[in-house]
Amino acid sequence: MRLITHNMLKCHVRNCTDPDKQFPLRFENAELEQIEAERNDEFLVRMIPRLDWPALVKTATALGIALPASIPETPSEDDDFLQKLHTTILETHVKEGSMFCDGCGHEYKITNGIPNMLLAEHEI
Amino acid sequence: MKDPVPDTLQLGEADKEEQYVHSVYNEIASHFSDTRFKPWPVIERYLKGLPSGSIGADVGCGNGKYLGVRTGDVFMMGTDRSESLVDICQQRKFECMVSDGLDLPYRDSAFDFAISIAVIHHFSSPERRLQAAKELLRIIRPGGTVLVFAWALEQNGRRKFDPNMQDVLVPWVVPKSRKQGKGDEEEEREDKVYHRYYHLFREGELPALFEGLDRCTILEQGYDKDNWYVIARKDRL
Repeated sequence: MRLITHNMLKCHVRNCTDPDKQFPLRFENAELEQIEAERNDEFLVRMIPRLDWPALVKTATALGIALPASIPETPSEDDDFLQKLHTTILETHVKEGSMFCDGCGHEYKITNGIPNMLLAEHEI
Repeated sequence: MKDPVPDTLQLGEADKEEQYVHSVYNEIASHFSDTRFKPWPVIERYLKGLPSGSIGADVGCGNGKYLGVRTGDVFMMGTDRSESLVDICQQRKFECMVSDGLDLPYRDSAFDFAISIAVIHHFSSPERRLQAAKELLRIIRPGGTVLVFAWALEQNGRRKFDPNMQDVLVPWVVPKSRKQGKGDEEEEREDKVYHRYYHLFREGELPALFEGLDRCTILEQGYDKDNWYVIARKDRL
């Protein structure tokens, strides 16, 4: 699972509704893998508004990846920023591990790069 | 194709889907995947019309047929209820997760668009189909659109459905020549038949499902490849 995907996720357990806690889901025992991908700057710049930037920074920091706390004024002209963004969201994969919700404690497992986001009967 | 039979199963909604949708897809995944390769024109047109840099969700992505249509240009992630089908997506290097369409793991308004192709007809009650539609609309941003395809009761091709039977079990035949199931058994000398639950949509039923939602406008509706389809927009406030 790439970090861009993780940025779209939230905990969806019933009654777990605090937006400050539902996402980003917190990684534990994450095994990372870097897989090169072709960079497309137009694509990156246009995608920025869809990212929850604070959540991305929080997640990256926890994984030991450095990202600026805020997005530059003109990202399209900042090669260094675009490269960091590209590497972080598109080239960093979580192969194994768990994602925990800080709100309700639910654990979502990732196996072979695939997160299992199913809930138990009582959690829906 | 073998004829569909009426759904007279005395099962709760979740159980019906578990036995006649989820388990079946897990069993037939590889055969099913081999038959799902040619993107349908309306869907291709929709995906090719999206602006570069769009990010979208494919709900019920199956074998990932649509996830790679605009790789590098439009980012898509898929969810499917079938672990076996998601495994196939993973092998094809797509972003995919195991998830239920009734309860998506995405934050509100996260995506520019969503597609759900031949999925909503597997939910076994009007309430569940409505819930699936609500989830699709929830996850797209205001101004974003969703494309949904569902099997039509009224068919022009080889399949012919009884006009009085909307809830049916449709056979899927895995030929005896294929290795079947998930085990190592080799001695399969017969075709194996599975049944999948479908609610076949009448003309007008799919648009009505979306028209009933708040902040939703139908942009396009039609019939293509034996399916009814809609393109609906989440309106800005």
